[in-house]
Amino acid sequence: MADFPLAINLQGDYGYKVVIVDDSNTIEEVIGTSVDQIVSVLVAPFPEGTILRARVHGANKPLNNSLRIADANFIQMEALEIYVEE
Amino acid sequence: MALLKMEEWYDLARETNWTPSYVSEDELYPEPMSNNYDIPLETWETFDEPYKVTYRDYVKAQRDKDVGAYSVKAALARSDFFKNASPHWKALLALHFSAVCWAEFHSASSFARMTRFSRSPGMRNMATFGTLDEIRHGQIQIYFAYEFLKHDAVFDWCHKSSKTENWIIISVRHALDDIAHTRDATSAAIMLNMGLELAFTNLQFVALSADAAKCGDHTFATMLQSIQSDEARHAQVGEPVVRIMVENGKKKEAQQLVEIAFWRIWKQFSALSGIGMDYYTPLEHRENSLKEFMEEWVIGQFGRTVEALGLDLPWYWDILKQDISNFHHANQIGVYVYRATEWWRPIASTSPAEREWLEEKYPGWNETYGKCWDVISQNIRNGDYEKTVPVAPPLICNMCGLEVTGVAGDKWRAVNHHVDIGNRRYHFCSEPCKWIFELEPSRYKGHKSIIDRLFDGTIGPEPDDFYNYMGQSPAERGTDGYEYQWVDGYDEVDDDQSLRATG
Repeated sequence: MADFPLAINLQGDYGYKVVIVDDSNTIEEVIGTSVDQIVSVLVAPFPEGTILRARVHGANKPLNNSLRIADANFIQMEALEIYVEE
Repeated sequence: MALLKMEEWYDLARETNWTPSYVSEDELYPEPMSNNYDIPLETWETFDEPYKVTYRDYVKAQRDKDVGAYSVKAALARSDFFKNASPHWKALLALHFSAVCWAEFHSASSFARMTRFSRSPGMRNMATFGTLDEIRHGQIQIYFAYEFLKHDAVFDWCHKSSKTENWIIISVRHALDDIAHTRDATSAAIMLNMGLELAFTNLQFVALSADAAKCGDHTFATMLQSIQSDEARHAQVGEPVVRIMVENGKKKEAQQLVEIAFWRIWKQFSALSGIGMDYYTPLEHRENSLKEFMEEWVIGQFGRTVEALGLDLPWYWDILKQDISNFHHANQIGVYVYRATEWWRPIASTSPAEREWLEEKYPGWNETYGKCWDVISQNIRNGDYEKTVPVAPPLICNMCGLEVTGVAGDKWRAVNHHVDIGNRRYHFCSEPCKWIFELEPSRYKGHKSIIDRLFDGTIGPEPDDFYNYMGQSPAERGTDGYEYQWVDGYDEVDDDQSLRATG
């Protein structure tokens, strides 16, 4: 277990933030941590039932929610977008 | 004895050059200090400045300017202008003086290098005036700012800021080190004079001077005018240098120097002038927006100058046209929410009336950046002040040192560019910032942003470690300039709406 900094831009926010997660965290947990830190601070709460996904910046496909950071082959400060699934 | 007329001796004097005999030309002008771009000395000697001035005339003109500026200052020193100025204007003055005073000394250093190492005697002559100008600009602004120190300790940072590792100062210093401090005399003439002075000083000195006069701050207005009249003269050192390079097969090199410098300085002015014009200028005195000034003076006038000199418009011109509507709005949110990391008292400047102005000048502002301000203002109205400060720090661009931002709200667009070297990821806020880095990675890769320093252990883990590193005691951490009272306007709007609803 080790701290792992990620660059995160949550949908609606004006820019990227550096969010520290644990490398044992899953993508779903990363989304949760980011929501905790940014929603109601810079982004209004999402409507109930909203599904958020994460993807590497510029990628088309979302990351698997169960993927662990340690297994994701990320470089420290990897840039992830967290967005509302349509 | 009758004096010769200037036109009878000026050209002879300015064209008189050394013919080195005890040292070689390379020893007299070592390349790291004086790149000749493989253009022979006799060609550099054709440098012909468009604005000609003698030392006698220069001294007289400068003396008259100083007398004018200091007289206005003395006359107004007894007034209570500063005490009665709004937090908007106080924030603007603090930002301007603490970012610009010492930057003038960077320019003095750069001009001094041109004075010694320029190949052309005419250029050395003009650069001598430029050096004196910049020393004067540094001194007059620090002196004028000193007047405010008795009213507000924030102005200590006009002198102190350059010696700190505050994140904003790191950003400004990195840009100026790159274009002014660490370039040879020829390159610096193009980068400083064309990329900074000719392109951008109108924004901060002419536009701001007009705003200052409208606000009744005649001391500041007079001082800015006095400075800009120098800038307009000495900025012209760069134009003949570009012309010589273009005419001698070095257009590509000149083009690249302009493109690097222009983008680096645009990012600085986007934050400084952008926030100053669109947020810190009191609403009742605002006329044109940053976007409008940029379109007329930079995209228009500077663009035409670039083409008239035989260069092309920078490759990123279309990116710039988008950036003038976005970057500073995003950065204003960051400057406000991370206000404790700044030494002045930032203001939100997003009351209902101010939002109307922003929406008029930047259609779509309310559904983009305004969405973040909806959340911030609601938290303040609810008394949730802690929620107005994000736990997560911002990602900082490894070139410009400002936040990596995109478009917020309903038209959300994440923007990020990166380069990996070894195990380190370098993030950039824009394609041009990344392009500059990739031109010369060895020049830039060792620089660390404040966030890099936070995570590599340079800065300790405790919150106070961060502020101590940036030179900010508890009393020097920014707080809301209006103590949150700006949200009262929202209550009035709500009351009006509820009255209308109930008839």
